[in-house]
Order: sequence, then structure tokens, then C-alpha cells
Amino acid sequence: MLERIVKAYNEAVFETDKEAAFEVVEAALAGGLTAEDIVFKVVIPAVEEMMSNITKDPDANLAQHFMTAQIAAEVTEKMLLSFKQPPEIIGKVVMGTAHGDLHSLGKRIVMGCLKALMVDVVDLGVNVPAERFVDVAQAENAQVIAISAMMVHTATGENGASKVRRILHERGLEDRIKLVVGGAPYRFDDGLYQTVGADAWAADGVNAGRIIVDLIRGIKKS
Amino acid sequence: MSVLLVSSATGLHRLPASDGQSVRDLLDTTALRVRAACGGSGTCGACSVRLIAGEVSPPTVAEYLKLTPEERAAGQRLACQLRIQGDVHIELEHPAPPSAWKSIVPENLAEITACRPELSAHRYGLAVDLGTTHIRLALWDRRAGKRIATRRGANPQGSFGADVLNRLEAARAHPEHAAELAASAREAIMHAVRDILARDIGEVTPMLAEIGEVLIVGNTAMLALLTGQGGDALLDPAYWQKKVDFQPADRSAWQQPWHLPNARIVLPGPVAGFVGSDLVADLVATGLVDGPPGSLLLDVGTNTEIALWDGACLHVTSVPGGPAFEGVGIRHGMPAEPGAIYRVSRSDAGYACATLAGETARGFCGSGLTDAIAVLLADGRLKPSGRFVVSPGPEGYALDPANPATAITGIDVDAFQRAKAAIAAAMEVLLRQAGMGWGELRRLCICGAFGHTLDVGRAQSLGLLPPIAAQDVELHADASLAGGERALLSPNGAQRFAALTDTIKAINLSLIADYDEAYINHLRLRPIAVAPSP
Repeated sequence: MLERIVKAYNEAVFETDKEAAFEVVEAALAGGLTAEDIVFKVVIPAVEEMMSNITKDPDANLAQHFMTAQIAAEVTEKMLLSFKQPPEIIGKVVMGTAHGDLHSLGKRIVMGCLKALMVDVVDLGVNVPAERFVDVAQAENAQVIAISAMMVHTATGENGASKVRRILHERGLEDRIKLVVGGAPYRFDDGLYQTVGADAWAADGVNAGRIIVDLIRGIKKS
Repeated sequence: MSVLLVSSATGLHRLPASDGQSVRDLLDTTALRVRAACGGSGTCGACSVRLIAGEVSPPTVAEYLKLTPEERAAGQRLACQLRIQGDVHIELEHPAPPSAWKSIVPENLAEITACRPELSAHRYGLAVDLGTTHIRLALWDRRAGKRIATRRGANPQGSFGADVLNRLEAARAHPEHAAELAASAREAIMHAVRDILARDIGEVTPMLAEIGEVLIVGNTAMLALLTGQGGDALLDPAYWQKKVDFQPADRSAWQQPWHLPNARIVLPGPVAGFVGSDLVADLVATGLVDGPPGSLLLDVGTNTEIALWDGACLHVTSVPGGPAFEGVGIRHGMPAEPGAIYRVSRSDAGYACATLAGETARGFCGSGLTDAIAVLLADGRLKPSGRFVVSPGPEGYALDPANPATAITGIDVDAFQRAKAAIAAAMEVLLRQAGMGWGELRRLCICGAFGHTLDVGRAQSLGLLPPIAAQDVELHADASLAGGERALLSPNGAQRFAALTDTIKAINLSLIADYDEAYINHLRLRPIAVAPSP
């Protein structure tokens, strides 16, 4: 039965049909699956499959990325309400758009995937000052600061990622908190993330989820 | 509808024509202009063409005066006197030198009956709609209430980037670029004015002194770049919801190079950092606030601006949802120019593409792109997710297998989905702000050239336009220009602009928490649900 549910769910996600995805989930719950089963056996494998497919599938488009991440986030959020005990969280990320940048969509996609992957996200919203990223990451014991910037001047600006790097360095936090960046300017210049002092970057919102999970695991191991 | 065939050195051109239209007026809307040095009164004699065949008006007195009997016997006619009365074939031996400027097609111009009889001197006035991609302008005899001529041409700032952000970045990074951007737009406006004076009046320098007002509307970025100031402020989110204003630092520094010693230069203030005076002009042109509550205005351009009148308040916003509809980022995308597919229908052989000016298809303009995607979806070749059922590969699905320029690629569909979702989500946010639902819309005004050739039903089938009865949809092609013209022709036009601007509640979508969610929910290719699903 699980196999059939996974297949039906994946098909609905592939067709970006949110209503159909929720119908599959409702039917599975009615059929005896728990909310935990849905998240760990259906949603997370689907997100992982999507991550590996997205780079291989020449016909996958941005609209699809957005819709699939949204479905994963919505289903997970709804299922979490019915969890018998709070789920085990992999780690914590503080996320926002760079100072001067109001483009929130990329951040939203990453957040959707992270939620589905059981990563706790502290969303600082848009136009976030560098100090605030570090202050909150420290207070919340987050492993990763993720900054989205969609314009060249906010990606490379002196109040963006490079300032966060400087503060992390000054406060001696570089071993405990990793810095990741994403957004259009980093796609045009794949060395730019290093120029602004980031530890990693991702080309799309879905893969950003994978890279952040890897960074969290790296820090937890050391 | 008749056809005008034009033989010229560049080949045989086929132009759709209306009966009664003069050959000159028709050619002025295309790149095939006749020579001219008068306003079409037949006094300069420069526009002679040879009539090869067809149903036309008989020669006028002006033609008897300007053409010799030999010339007339050889079929020579004056294009400004020669009226089309059926299919016509002419030869254009001596076209005007190529120009960046064309007349705006008459169907796109608003009918405006207003004049300024109190004006005794400097009776001429110029209204300019400074768009990101195109500049449109109209020269008026304000005293007589007569539109002398119009022009439409590319904004030369395009060389710094098609979109607004690239140009603002360029101006911010290098002061010399800022100066160049400002100068290029101002020079373009003056070229167009000189083109009008030379061709439609026949006198340039003396007439320049008679121009008493230049009124310019545009989006905020265009106004900032035109005045060479404020680009920095627009890139700073702190200014996005605030009132901004861009005025020439020194008006005489504009009047002098323009040779307009007597012209007042008027730049009505924009609404906020991201909503320009072009939207206020749209509001003036459509009379949106004179309509019922639930009146929505949509100006689809490079930057799409949206206004909702709820009976008490005007809610306004803008989204960068437009470039796809002007051909940007679309494999075979192009502006609404000759050869652009503007309509797609089914035929026995497959699909038929109707093109502007009836030329061989060179690509899709906004309405053609919308039509193509709607037909492919309805025929089950595209899925609501935006994927092709059978992947056509990177070259895309050619509607006419013999013409690669008729192909729609997966990337095109994606760009369309993101553009239409941005627009639909913005409309939804405005409705929510007003406490209204999709079902309460009573009037939809579509401004801009995009709407002119759009099949509203097809656009609705994709969720680009809201569900509203066809009779409640109005198309206002060059509304921003029309609003500017109305302000030019009214003694208190500037006050009307200012009063409207003050009633506007500008909303920056970046600060609306659920905009992103609405955007993602509108990405699917399907009609907008009147009662949104929970």
C-alpha cells in the first residue's frame, strides 16, 4: 500500500497538483498511515528524489521547482500538527535576504525544502542587517546562516554577506556557524560566493536544502 | 479591411489598410515612410508615389498643382492625398531615410476632445510617455485642441539593459553612465519632435519656440534616469513605499539643448518609489475611479502596474511581470511589430498563426505567446504544470513545422507562467487589501499595446486575467500617453494628477507576507478560481 501511495504522491508532485497531493495524503491517513509515516516515508523521499532529478531533467522548469517545494512545505506543516511528539530536528538555520534586498521568493523555496527535511528555520524576512543574522544565529544556536540576494549590489555590497563573514570572524564563530548564499548573481559568477566570504552556495532553491543539510551534519560531526 | 501592396527597393510589402485612410498615414505607422515636409495638406509635394493598380480616390486640386501632367499620366500621386478605397498596389521609389520613429496606429490613440482657447502664445504642447522599452509622444495644438502628430520609437537606454534594474545599476556604478542615460532619453524625445515638425508641419526651428509645454510621464526608474538623479534611492528599499519626486535640477539645461526656450517642463510626481506617474496617467485616461467598486486596471509593460478601485480607495502596486509579454526571455519573442504572431487558431493542417502586417511569422508578441500556450494547453499538448506531454526538446514545439520561429519551448512556457503568476498574485493581494474577492470585480481596464490584440477568453483560461464577463473588459491601448495628453489639454491637469496621486494607497509586494504563496499558487496553467481554494 505504501508503494502505491508514494507513487501517487510523487505523480501529483511531478504534475505540481497540490490538490491531488493533499487528496493522496488524506486517503493515506484514512487508510491508517500516521502523520509521521507521511513525512518520513512519503514526503522526504519525494523531496530527495526531486533534488537528484532537478539537475538531470532538462525539462524541469523554475515554476515546477517553486510549486513542488511549496507542496512539500505545506504537507509537512500540516502533518507536523498531528505528530504525537515533536519530530527530531536535524539542525537550525537562520535565513533572510541581504540588506537592501526585498526579493523573498528564493528564500521561500529553500525554507519549504528545509522544513520538509526537518531542519528548523528562523526566518528573519527581507532586508536584514548583517549584525542581526549573527546575533540571532548565536542566540538560537543555529549551525547555518543563509543569505539570499537577487541583485548584484546586494550580493556584493558591503552590508551583505561579506559583513556577516567579518562579524563571524571577529566573534570567533567561524567553526560553529557556516555561511551560505544564493540568488541570481551567484549563478552568473560561480566564484562569487568565495569573493563575498561564504562557505557554500547553491544554484537553485531545492539543492540549497541539500547543501545546508550537509553543512549542518558537518558541524555536528566535528 | 483592404490591403496595400508596396513595391520598394526592399521588396514587396503587404499592409492591412482601412478604407478612407491616406496612403501616407498608413505608411507613417511603418518603417516604409514617404518623404514629407508638410502635415499632409498636399502643399510640399514631397510624398509622391506611383500608383500601379487599385481602387483609390481621384486626384485632388493639390495634386494638380504639385504634379506635372506627365507625372500624373505616369501614375504619380501624392501619398497624403491618395485615399485607399479597396486593395491598392503602389511603388515607393523614393522613401524617406530610415528613421527610428513611426506614427502610432490610429486605433491605439484615444479620442480626446479638449482644448485651451485661453492660450494666446506658445500654443503647442508635447505629451510624452517615457516607457522602459518604448517612447511614445504626441504633439498638440493646445489652443485648437488638435493632435498634430504622434511618434513611437525605441528607448535608446535599452543599450544599457532591457530591464530597469540593469539601467539603475549602470547609473549608480558610473556617474558618466548616469549622464549618458539621461542625455540619450532627452535626445530621443527631441529627435521625435524634430521628426514631427519636419514631416508634419514643414518648419522646425521657428516652431520649437511655439511649444509652450512638455509633459512627461513614466515609471519612477525612467523619471530618475531622465533627470539624472535618484537612481540610488530607488535601489534602497527604504524609499520603495515613500513618496519620491524627480524634477530636472535645472530646467534651462533641458530647454537649451532642446531649443525650446518657452516650454514649461512638467514631470508629474510619481506615486511612490516603485509606481510611476504613468500609472496616474492610466487612471486619468480610463477614469477608473468613475467606475463601480471592483474596477481593476492592468497596465502590462516591462513593469506591470495594477490599480484597484474599491469605491473609496485606490490600491496600487507594480510587479516585474511584464518582460515576457514584450518578448524578453522568450526564444522567439518579439515586440508587437510586423511579423509578430499575435493570434493562434486551429486549422485543418494544425495551427494557423496570424501575424501583424500579415508578414511571415518572425516570432511571438505577448498576445501571440498567450494564445499559443492556451491552445497547446487546451489541445492537451501542454500540462497545467507547464510541461509538454511529449518533450519537444530544446528547439520547442513549432506551430508551423515549416517555420522554426513559430516554436514554443519549455523555457518559454516557464517564463510565461512566472510572469502571469506575478500579475495574478499581485491582483489577488490588492483584492485582499480591499477586502474583496475575485467575484466582486465589475470592470477590467487593460492598458498598453498588449491588450489590444489579446484574446481575453484565452488569457482567462491560463489564469492571466481574472474571471470577468467579456462586456466588462475594456482595452485602452496607449492609455499612459492619453492620460498625459489629457493633462496637457487641461488648465488644471497637473492638479488632477496630484489629487489622484494623493488618494492612492501604494503597496509594495515585497512587504506582503503572503504574496509569495499567492504567486506560487498562480503558477499552474488554469483559470483563476473565483472562490480561492483553501
